[in-house]
Amino acid sequence: MLMPKKVKYRKQQRGRRAGKAWAGGQLSFGDFGLKVMEPGWITDRQIEASRVAMTRFVKRGGKIWIRVFPDKTVTKKPAETRMGKGKGAPDHWVAVVKPGRVLFEMEGVPHAQAEEAMRLAAHKLPLRTRFVAREEQG
Amino acid sequence: MAIEISLQAELREAAGKGPARRLRRAGKVPATLYGEHKPAVSLAVDPKQLAAILRSESGQNTIFELRMDGEKTAAMVVDWQREPVRGALIHVDLKRIAMDRRLRVRVPVQSQGEAVGVKVQGGILELVTREIELECLPTEIPEHIVVDVSNLSIGQNLRVGDLQLSAGLKTITDPDRVVAHVVAVKEEVVAPAAAPEAAEAAPAEPEVIKKGKAEAKEGEEAVPAEEGGKKKSS
Repeated sequence: MLMPKKVKYRKQQRGRRAGKAWAGGQLSFGDFGLKVMEPGWITDRQIEASRVAMTRFVKRGGKIWIRVFPDKTVTKKPAETRMGKGKGAPDHWVAVVKPGRVLFEMEGVPHAQAEEAMRLAAHKLPLRTRFVAREEQG
Repeated sequence: MAIEISLQAELREAAGKGPARRLRRAGKVPATLYGEHKPAVSLAVDPKQLAAILRSESGQNTIFELRMDGEKTAAMVVDWQREPVRGALIHVDLKRIAMDRRLRVRVPVQSQGEAVGVKVQGGILELVTREIELECLPTEIPEHIVVDVSNLSIGQNLRVGDLQLSAGLKTITDPDRVVAHVVAVKEEVVAPAAAPEAAEAAPAEPEVIKKGKAEAKEGEEAVPAEEGGKKKSS
């Protein structure tokens, strides 16, 4: 699972996700990609599940790039704990995404195969996404 | 060379985000025209015409006739911004072009043929450099540079210096820069049943807490903070 090797602080506040992804919204490596259409958090497990879904579908052939990294820690209080007594323990990692962000890119496979792989990957994510191709990007 | 494509533009008086947003709502795109040692002019153009130019075979390197206020100028698109979600054009930079002066352009690279490394060895062809910067006359701008990759096997690459370009073209991009290479496919190791358990256990929350820059300086602050945290939890 993706996570930072080193962090400055163990816990973070939740923050806001206003605006659009003015950076990281174009295809930079591959010919096809998956673009997110709404703001939200994508967990390390969701990224990994999407990656596995894509990799298994394309089997041999095709190169995949993951354009997001879960560098935000999310804490959780144990079950059946009363409120208070400080912030909970770090539980998992998330990547903060804003609309327009390209999550994954792919190269070396035909258009239809890439679209299907991205569809399978999108099913593992909690946000609306759209398939993008370099020829349509302009 | 006669310029076949034309773009109609209107002069734009008001500048700033408010007028620009009003312009976009009215179905136009704010643009600016500069170059050839003449003052920059603010314009408004039709996004459909502009998108057609960018989608054409020659793409951003298309030289068109810009018509504004009865004036005609040879121009090309040098930069443009798109809205990240829908991809609509937001702003465009246009540059005046002197047809007798050499200019620098970025020309897309197109691969030709199937690489030996892909066909026989089962690798993946990766186009590392998708555009090459060239210097040439406006009349000599190629639509794309064709790169023959059929002789590439796994681990081999093709560099900018290896490309065969016509006489009038001068490459500005570093000749050592890799254009395309064939890489071996990394097989996904299908994890046996034991692996998921290990994956569950491993990423619990191991992270290294980086201490302050200089422990000597900020040691006084850092230590109480840590102790404070411990006190809270206990």
